[in-house]
Amino acid sequence: MKRFLTQYRALLWQALQVEWSNSERWMSPLLFSTTMILLFAFAFGKVDVAFLPQLYIAATYLTASFSLQIAFSRVLEPDTQDRVFDQLRTYPISPSAWFLSKYTVVILLGVLILLPTLFLSNLFLNNEGPVSLLNSSVLIVAVLMLLSLGAIGVLLSTMMLRSNAKQILYPLLYFPLTVPVLLSAVESSRMILVDGKDLSYLMSSWLGLLVIFGIMYFTLCLLLFGELIKPE
Amino acid sequence: MLDIKLLSFRYQFKTILSQLSFCAVTGEILHITGPNGSGKTTLMSLLAGLRKEASGTIEYRLSSGKAAEDRRTYVEYLPAEANALFGKMDAMSNLRFWRKLRNLEASDASIRAVLKKWDLDHPLVRENFPVESFSTGMKRRLALARLELSETPCWLLDEPLYGLDTKGIETFQLMLDEHLKKGGITIIVSHDIAPLERFPVRRLDLLQEARA
Repeated sequence: MKRFLTQYRALLWQALQVEWSNSERWMSPLLFSTTMILLFAFAFGKVDVAFLPQLYIAATYLTASFSLQIAFSRVLEPDTQDRVFDQLRTYPISPSAWFLSKYTVVILLGVLILLPTLFLSNLFLNNEGPVSLLNSSVLIVAVLMLLSLGAIGVLLSTMMLRSNAKQILYPLLYFPLTVPVLLSAVESSRMILVDGKDLSYLMSSWLGLLVIFGIMYFTLCLLLFGELIKPE
Repeated sequence: MLDIKLLSFRYQFKTILSQLSFCAVTGEILHITGPNGSGKTTLMSLLAGLRKEASGTIEYRLSSGKAAEDRRTYVEYLPAEANALFGKMDAMSNLRFWRKLRNLEASDASIRAVLKKWDLDHPLVRENFPVESFSTGMKRRLALARLELSETPCWLLDEPLYGLDTKGIETFQLMLDEHLKKGGITIIVSHDIAPLERFPVRRLDLLQEARA
């Protein structure tokens, strides 16, 4: 356990240092999301208050999903330089510690992109503030979505490193796998904002599905990651 | 002792290594030779655990004679065409990171002592100076410093002298000498054999082995 924790901390700290030293890596998805939200705000113009929550959900989740995809696809990029990834594979590293460290970085990076996206979306689309779009229940749903997408992101980024069909593999796998997560997140948010349902009610419907997908993806990705770093 | 028995490896229907058996013992250098494309680097990556053998076994035997559960604990690999360093991080951070992964104490003093040997201990070089700004030789010296700091008994070195100047080669010889005296194992692939002449070297020619 001590070895696991030492390795997890070392891998996490190193990944954070690399992210911090190269601000372009987290800034470009963030700028992308800001631009998208601004474009939506200009395109929609003044919207009927009744439709505002639906527009907010659609624009925010679409933007978040694309910007997160950009961030996730690059999460193992620093490890590809100078064959660091291969060197790591020659070390006696616990695959779980390695996966969890990357997963933590992805989640932190995701929060850094997701929260401003939600905030900016509310600011630009709901600029006159007739309804409250930014509430804690929606934030919880968005974070749960991020926890599911993060696991897929780490796994697919690693698969990209090990595959010959790098460019095509990521979008081909990422989008079909994220559809159930995005659908349940969007539906849960819609039911919160439009139908006024609370989280406990949603647990037996869309939110429950989101949680189940989160657990399933996390477990599967954790197990499959170990297979990906084995000798070829 | 690194014990290799009947090792075979195929890549896309082409046999690269066939039924290769040898062992590398403590206190000696095993020099892998052969023409380009004979499988020297493939063999090194197999020994390092990057590739999976088609058949045969690779075992690191402990002093008790028992095979180690995970040979990666005892083996450090230095690839030929890369140094496996994080370009955006400084020398100290790089070495600290790799040492922690081996669960070794990573105090500044222990790391600086090795950096000093490799002439990389200058304050403007060791900290807050990204490794990507290093020269080729400096990067190789840093990678060799990591090798020394790994405290592993078995070293796999693929063209370790690439980019080193005369002083760097001398430091490498000193490090190798200490390693062998401590009972270390070294497997080297190198076209530059002159710096190795003063050591007990055993040759393994992959072309001859393939013919045998």
